[in-house]
Amino acid sequence: MALRELKIGASGVRGVVGDALTPELIVNFACAFGTWCGVGPVVIGRDTRRSGIAFRAAVVSGLLSTGCRVIDLGVSSSPLVSFAIREFGASGGIAITGSHNDANWNALKFFGPDGALLNAAKNEELLDIYHGAAFELATWDRLKPVETAPDVEERYLEHLASAIDVDPIRDRRFRVAVDFTNGACGAVASRFLESLHCTLLPVNAEPTGEFAHPPAPTAANMRQIATLARCFGADLGAALNVDGDRIGFVTGEGTALSEEYSLPLVATPRLRRRPGPVVTSYSTSGMVEALARAHGQRVIRGPVGESHVVDLGLAEGAVLAGEGSGGIVVLPLDVAYDGLLALGLVLEEMATSGRSLAELAGCLPSLFMRKRELPCPPNLIYKVLERFRRQHAEDTPDCTDGVRLSWDDSWLHVRASNTEPLLRIIAEASDQARAEALVDEAAVFARRITFGHEGS
Amino acid sequence: MRQPLSLKIGPSGVRGVIGESLTPQLVTSFAAAFGTYCGAGPILVGTDTRPSREMVKQAAIAGLLSVGCTPVDVGIVAVPALMFHVREAGAFGGISVSGSHGSLDWNALRFIDSEGLSLRANQAAELTDLYHQGLYPRVRALDMSDLRADTTSSARHLRAVTQAVDVERIRTRTFRVAVDPRGGAASIPTLRLLEALGCDVVAINAGADTPCQADAEPDEAGLAELGELVRRSGADVGFAQDADADRLAVVDEHGTPLGTDTTVVLVVQRWLERRAGPVVVNISTSRMVDDVAARFGCPVHRSRVGEANVVEAMKEHGAEVGGEGDGGAIVLPVNPCRDSFTAMAVILESMAVSERSVGALRAQVPRYAMVRERLLCSARDIAPSLRLIKSLFRGERFDLTDGVKVTWPDRWLMARPSTTEPVIRLAAEAPTETEARSLVNRVLEVLSPGA
Repeated sequence: MALRELKIGASGVRGVVGDALTPELIVNFACAFGTWCGVGPVVIGRDTRRSGIAFRAAVVSGLLSTGCRVIDLGVSSSPLVSFAIREFGASGGIAITGSHNDANWNALKFFGPDGALLNAAKNEELLDIYHGAAFELATWDRLKPVETAPDVEERYLEHLASAIDVDPIRDRRFRVAVDFTNGACGAVASRFLESLHCTLLPVNAEPTGEFAHPPAPTAANMRQIATLARCFGADLGAALNVDGDRIGFVTGEGTALSEEYSLPLVATPRLRRRPGPVVTSYSTSGMVEALARAHGQRVIRGPVGESHVVDLGLAEGAVLAGEGSGGIVVLPLDVAYDGLLALGLVLEEMATSGRSLAELAGCLPSLFMRKRELPCPPNLIYKVLERFRRQHAEDTPDCTDGVRLSWDDSWLHVRASNTEPLLRIIAEASDQARAEALVDEAAVFARRITFGHEGS
Repeated sequence: MRQPLSLKIGPSGVRGVIGESLTPQLVTSFAAAFGTYCGAGPILVGTDTRPSREMVKQAAIAGLLSVGCTPVDVGIVAVPALMFHVREAGAFGGISVSGSHGSLDWNALRFIDSEGLSLRANQAAELTDLYHQGLYPRVRALDMSDLRADTTSSARHLRAVTQAVDVERIRTRTFRVAVDPRGGAASIPTLRLLEALGCDVVAINAGADTPCQADAEPDEAGLAELGELVRRSGADVGFAQDADADRLAVVDEHGTPLGTDTTVVLVVQRWLERRAGPVVVNISTSRMVDDVAARFGCPVHRSRVGEANVVEAMKEHGAEVGGEGDGGAIVLPVNPCRDSFTAMAVILESMAVSERSVGALRAQVPRYAMVRERLLCSARDIAPSLRLIKSLFRGERFDLTDGVKVTWPDRWLMARPSTTEPVIRLAAEAPTETEARSLVNRVLEVLSPGA
C-alpha cells in the first residue's frame, strides 16, 4: 500500500483531504488541543478551501466536546487568528489552512496562548495527548455555544496602522496591485490599503478556494500579478498566499522578485525604527546578513519553519524574524508571520526614501540562490541525510536541521520538508554557476539513494 | 470516568451520554456512514434545544461533508417538522439531533430516510453494517460540497397542518389554550400554530431562552404545573409536548391530565368523524381506540411497537389515522410520523365542530384502567418466560405480533421484550384498576415468585 500523505510535525497536522486527512482525525486533534488548552477560549479561523467547511465543523465539535469556549472568526487569515488570541486573552487558537500547499491539501496550525505557533516543547505535549487519546470530555452541562467576534478585524487594522508610519504612505497615494490567490485576505487587505489611501488593483480576489495558480508566492507563481502591475502602472505589486502569512513582491516595471527578497526589503524600515538582532532560518538568503551588518546588527540562524524561527526570535530578543519563503514577523509587536504588515513596511520604505521598489531591491547584495525539490519517500529521508553528512564530514556540517554546509562565499542546505514528503536542496553563492553546481551535486547524490523508490 | 456502557445503537438511531459515549468521533463516523447510505445529495440536519446540540450537529456536518453530501442546517426544529421538510424538499435524508424524552445528559442521532420516515429495521441494519466496516468513500477536496442553511422547516410544516383542519371553525371559537412545550424545539412553532388557529395562548417553558426540560415525563406529576395553569387561566384545554415534539399530552378544562393514551383516541375520533376508514395502533395501545372505531364501524389493525412499524402497517391497511399510546398520534395524509402539532390542530377542530369541551369528548369513550410493569429479565431468559406466559393462559385468544398478548372481550394482557433494555414490559388494561392489576399479578407470581 502506498504511504498516505500525512505530516504531523512542527507546523501542525497536514495532509491530503479525503486520503489521510479525515474528519475523524481532525476531531481527534481538536479534542487533544481542547484538552491541552483547558476551558479556553480557543480562537479558530479557516482559509477559503472548500474542505475548510467540513474541517471547521470537525474542529468546532472536537473543541466543544472538551468544554472549550470557541470564538469562530470564520474565513480569516492566520495572522488575524494570532492577533485575536492575544486580544481576547485566549488559551490558544487553530487556523484551518493548507497555507502554501495546493487545493487538495489542508492542515491545522496550532497557536498557543501567546499567539505564536506551538513551539517544539508545546507541540510535543499536544502530540502526547493526541496519541494517548484520553481526552478530557466535558459533561453536557459544561458545553458552551460558539461565539463570534465581529469587531476583531477593526482592531486588527488599528494594530497594523500603529506599527507603520501611515502619513508618508497616505501622501503618496500609491497604486498597489495585489494577487490574493483566491484566499482569505481579500476583504481585510482592501480595508488596510484603503486606510493607507492606496488604490488597490486586485486579482484573484474571489474567496473561492479554487486557486488560479499554486499558492506559494514564488517568482514563477507571480507572472500574472507581474503583468498586471506593469500594464496598469502600479507602483508595487504583491502576492499573498491563501492564509496571508507569506508575501512576495513585484516591481512597478513588472519584475517578480524572488520571495527571498521579502525579508531583506522589510529589514531596512524595521531596523531603522528599532535596532536589534534578526532571526532567520538556515535556508534563507544571505542578503539579510548584509543588511543587518549595515545597521550594526547580527543575524541568528535556526531550523526552518515558523515555529522554530519565532521561538528563537523571542528567545534572542529579535526585532524581526522571517524566512526565504516570504514569511515575516515583526517582533515583539507580533508573534506570527503576517504578509499585510510586511506590505505596509515596504510601502513605508518606498514613501520615506522616495525610491521605487526596483531601486530598493537593486541596493541589496547580488547573490545567486538555487532551490530544488526532490520527492523522497519518508522512510528514506534519514538515510539520505545521514549519507550526505558522512560524505561531507570534512566540511564540518551543521546538522541542526538537515545538513548545512557553509563556505566563505556560499552555502548548501539539504533538509526534509516539514510539510510534504520532499527533500529541499538550497544553495547560495556569489556566482550563479557555483550555486547551480552545489545543488546539482546534492541532487545527484540523493537520487542515487531514492532511485526506484519515488513511486512508493 | 465511568465506563462507556451507555451507548445504544438500534433501530431508532444512536443514543449515548455526552462526555462519555456519544463522542464527536462516533458522531462524525456515523454521519459519514449515513451519508454513504443516502448518497451524495442534500441531507437536512436539525436539533432540539439541548446544550450539547451544537457539538453533535457540527460533528454530523463534518462527517456528511467528508463523503460528498450537502448538509442543510435547519437549526432548532421539531422532529415532525424535520421529517416533513425532508419529504417535501426531496432531500436524500435527514438527521435529527435530539435526545427526545431522555434526560439532558443524553443525546442521539435519529436517521430519517428520503421519504421522511424513520429508518425501518432492515435499513438501520444496513446503516450499522456500513458503520462497522468503517470504509467510507471520502471525496477529494475539490469535490466537497457546501454547507447550506434553511430555516423554513416549521413554516412548511405548519402550512400543511393548518391546511388539514377547518381553521375558520376553530378561529371563531377563540379557544384559550395553555401550553407547556418544556423548552423544547416546539416552543416557537407551537405558539405560531395556535396563533394561526386564533387561540388565546397562555404558555409556560416556551421562551426562546427557556432551558430544555426534556427529562420531564408527561405523566401526572410532570403535568401538575400545566394543570395549575389551566385552572388559573380558565383555559379550555392544556397541551404538553416532549423535547422533539412528536408526542402530546392533553389536560382537560379542569386541569386534569387525560393520560397519554387518550391523545391518539381523541385524534382518531375526530378523523373518523370526517372520513370513516381503517385505524392502525400498536399492540399495546388502549382499547379505547377499538371502542371509538366500533362506533364508526371501522376496523382496527394492531402493529408492532415503534413509529416505523405503525406507519408501515397504516400504509399496508390504507389507514389514514393511527398512532401509539405514548401520546404519538399519526395522521398519514398530513405527515407520516407522530406529530404533536397535527394532534393539537385536530383536537381543537374536534372541540370547535362538536361544541363540546375536551373533557366531554373524552367522556364519549368508556374508561379503562391500564397497569404497566417492568420485569428485569436476562436476554437468555426472555424466550422461556414468554413461553411460560403462553402456557399460563392456554386456551385464551393470543396475538403474537410483538411478544405475547392475551385478549378477552373487555380486557387484555401483554408481555413484550424491550428493544433497549434487558427487560420484559408487562401491560394490562381492564375496566377497573383491580382487574388490570390482577392480570399483571398472575404473570408476576409465575415469573418472579419472590417479588
